[in-house]
Amino acid sequence: MSLLEIKNVSKIYGELKALDNVSIHVDKGEWVAIMGPSGSGKSTMMNIIGCMDKPTSGEVLLDGVDISKETSRRLTDIRRDKIGLIFQQFHMVNYLTAVENVMVSQYYHSMPDEKEALEALERVGLRERARHLPSQLSGGEQQRVCVARALINHPELILADEPTGNLDEANENIVLDLFAQLHREGTTLIVVTHDPEVAEAAQRTIVLEHGKLLKEVINESFGK
Amino acid sequence: MTKRRMFLRMITASLLRRRSRMLIALLSIAIGATILAGLVTIYVDVPRQMGAQFRSYGANMLLLPKEGETLTPASLSDALQAIPEDALVGASPYRYIRLDMTSRQQSFTAAGTDFAEVVKTSPYFSVEGAYPENTREVLVGKEIAETIGAKIGATMTLTWQPALRSADLTPEESRTPGAALSGSAEGFGGGMVYVTAALDEDKKIASLSIDATTQTPEYGGQLSQDAAFAAQFIGKALPLILNEDVDAFTGATVTSAAVVDALNQAVAATEQAQPKTVNYIVTGILTTGGEEEGYVFMSLSDMEAMTGSEQMDVAELSVSAGAEQLETYADAIAESGSGVQARLVKRVTRSEAAVLTKLQSLVFLVTAVVLLLTMICVSTTMMAVVSERRREIGLRKALGASDGSIRAEFLGEGLFLGLLGGVLGAMLGFVFAQVVSVHVFSSSITFQPLLLPAAVIVSMAVAAVSCLLPIKRAVAIDPALVLKGE
Repeated sequence: MSLLEIKNVSKIYGELKALDNVSIHVDKGEWVAIMGPSGSGKSTMMNIIGCMDKPTSGEVLLDGVDISKETSRRLTDIRRDKIGLIFQQFHMVNYLTAVENVMVSQYYHSMPDEKEALEALERVGLRERARHLPSQLSGGEQQRVCVARALINHPELILADEPTGNLDEANENIVLDLFAQLHREGTTLIVVTHDPEVAEAAQRTIVLEHGKLLKEVINESFGK
Repeated sequence: MTKRRMFLRMITASLLRRRSRMLIALLSIAIGATILAGLVTIYVDVPRQMGAQFRSYGANMLLLPKEGETLTPASLSDALQAIPEDALVGASPYRYIRLDMTSRQQSFTAAGTDFAEVVKTSPYFSVEGAYPENTREVLVGKEIAETIGAKIGATMTLTWQPALRSADLTPEESRTPGAALSGSAEGFGGGMVYVTAALDEDKKIASLSIDATTQTPEYGGQLSQDAAFAAQFIGKALPLILNEDVDAFTGATVTSAAVVDALNQAVAATEQAQPKTVNYIVTGILTTGGEEEGYVFMSLSDMEAMTGSEQMDVAELSVSAGAEQLETYADAIAESGSGVQARLVKRVTRSEAAVLTKLQSLVFLVTAVVLLLTMICVSTTMMAVVSERRREIGLRKALGASDGSIRAEFLGEGLFLGLLGGVLGAMLGFVFAQVVSVHVFSSSITFQPLLLPAAVIVSMAVAAVSCLLPIKRAVAIDPALVLKGE
C-alpha cells in the first residue's frame, strides 16, 4: 500500500526545470533514499514532499490526499500531522532546552507532554541531557534531539534532509541506527542525501539528475 | 503541561535567555513609560495643586494710593463705600516697614494689618498658635521663626529706625538737646504761620521767632514783632496749651493758636523721629508657602504706636463678584475722590492659568513624541529580532506552526515586554515626577493609584502596535528556508 504517490510532477522556476515529469511511489513502512548531485532537483522534491512547495504540474498523493492543490494553510496542517522533519543544520530553538525543543513540536501538533518528550529523548540516548541548551550539546547530540522531535508526534513519514551531512562517522552511525530502529517499527522514511553510504542503508535508492528520474536501485544487502 | 503554560514558557525563555536584545526593547519601553507616567502625574497633579491654591486665594482686588496720595484708614473707608457691604467679604490693609532685631543684628519686614480681616481675605494662611489679639503681640512667618528660633510665647524685641523725614530739621538736629525747632501751622484766613525756636538742655524753649506776615497786619501780623507775646514762651516745656501755659494775643486768637500748634507739632515730629524699641510676644507662627513666611505681622495700631503714622501701603480685598462687576467697582473707587485706585488680582490668576494650559499642551506634545520614539525604537528592535530569528521562525513553521501561532508568540513577547516596561516605568515615573515637581514647582505630589494600570496598559498597547510590522515580516517567512542548508 503506497503512502506517497508522485505522478508526472514538474516544477518550473522561470526558464529552469527543477523537476521534469518525475513519478515516484513510496510504500508505507518503506525506507527510501533520494540521491543526486547538486542541482538534480533533490531539494525541490524534498520541499514538495514536505508540503512546503507545490509542483507546477502533476499530482502528489500523500496518504491518499492530493497535496499539489492544497492551500498553504492546509499544507501546514498536513505537514504537522503526517510528517516529521530532520534537517542537515539540526535547527533547534537556541533558547530552549533539549526537552523544550521536543515539546515545541508537540505544542504545534496537539498538547505538550514533558513525560513523553523525555521518553523520546531517552530513546535517542539523551535522557540526561534533557535540560541542556543547544549550545551545550554536540552536533551529534543536537541531531539526535531533532530525531526525537521528528518522531514525537508519531508521524506517517519521516523526511530527512542530509541528516548526517554535518556529523562525524560515529554520530552518523548512531543516527542511521535510529533510522533502522524506526524502520523496524514500521515508520516510513525518506532520506535525501548525496552520501552513498547513507543511501546504502536504505531499502531502495532513487537517483535524480537534471530534474529527471535517472534510476531506482534496490539495495540487495539491506537488512544483512 | 497545558498549551498555555508551554506558550508562556516559550516567550519567557525567549526574553530571559536572549537578554541583550530584549533588554534594549525593555529599556526603551520602560523609559517611555517612565516619561509618560511622570509627565501625566505632573499634568494631573500640578494644576490640581495650583488650582487649590487659586481657589483658596481669596483676595481679588488691591487698593493702592493714587500718585501723590496716601492710603489712610479714612481714605480706605471712603473707597470701600463704592462696594456694597454684602459683596465685600473682607478688606485687609497692609503697611510694610523694616524693623531691626538688634540682639541678632538682623532686620525683617514687618507687616501691619488687621487680623480680623486677614482671616477673610487670606484663608490659606495657616497659623500654628493663634493670631495676635492684644497689643504688642506678633505673628511670625515660618522662615523668620526658623532663622531666629522663635517659639510661641517668646518675647521678640524689635526696633524701628525712622528714615530721614521730610521735616525741616535734620535728624541730627532733632535728636540733639538745645537744637533748633521749626514748624508751621495754618493761621487766620488760611495763611501759614511759621515758627523757629531753640531748646535748652532741659528741652525748654530758649528763644522763639515768629513769622506771621500772612496774617492781618493789625492783628495776627503783630505777632511777628511783639516781643512780649514771644517772651511768655521762654523757659516753658512743650507741648503747650493756649490760654493755660501761654495767653493768646488780643484780637488774634487764631494766629496765637497757630503758633502753639506749630510748636507742638514740631516737637511731636522730633519725638516721633526717635528710634523706638518695643517688646512683642509671639502668639503664632505663619505658614503660607509664599513670601509671607519672611514677614513679622503685627496690628496696625501697634505699628502706628511705633512709627507715629497711620499711613498704609495697600489693602487686599476679597469681593464676591464676577469679573465684570469687579471692573465696575474698580472704576467706582477710582472716581470716588478718595485718592485710592483699585487693581484686580484676577489678571495674575488668569495669566497663571494660561501658563498652566501651555504647560499642559507641552506635556501632551512631549508625551506624543516620547510615545512615537518608543514605538520606533521597539519596532526597530523587534524587526532586528525577527531577522535574527528567521531560521527559528522558519523552523517553527516547518514544525507545523500556523501564522496565528507565530503572531501570538511575537505579540506575546511584545505584551510581556510592555507589562514589564510599564510596571518599571510607572514606578520610575513617579520618582521622576516627584523630583521634577519638587525642583520645578516646589510642591510634592501624591501617588495616583490609577497610574500603575494606566502606564501598564499604555505600554502594552505601544508594544503591541510596535510589533505589528515585525510580526507581518515574521509571518511572511518561508518555512522551506530551513531545508536549504542556510
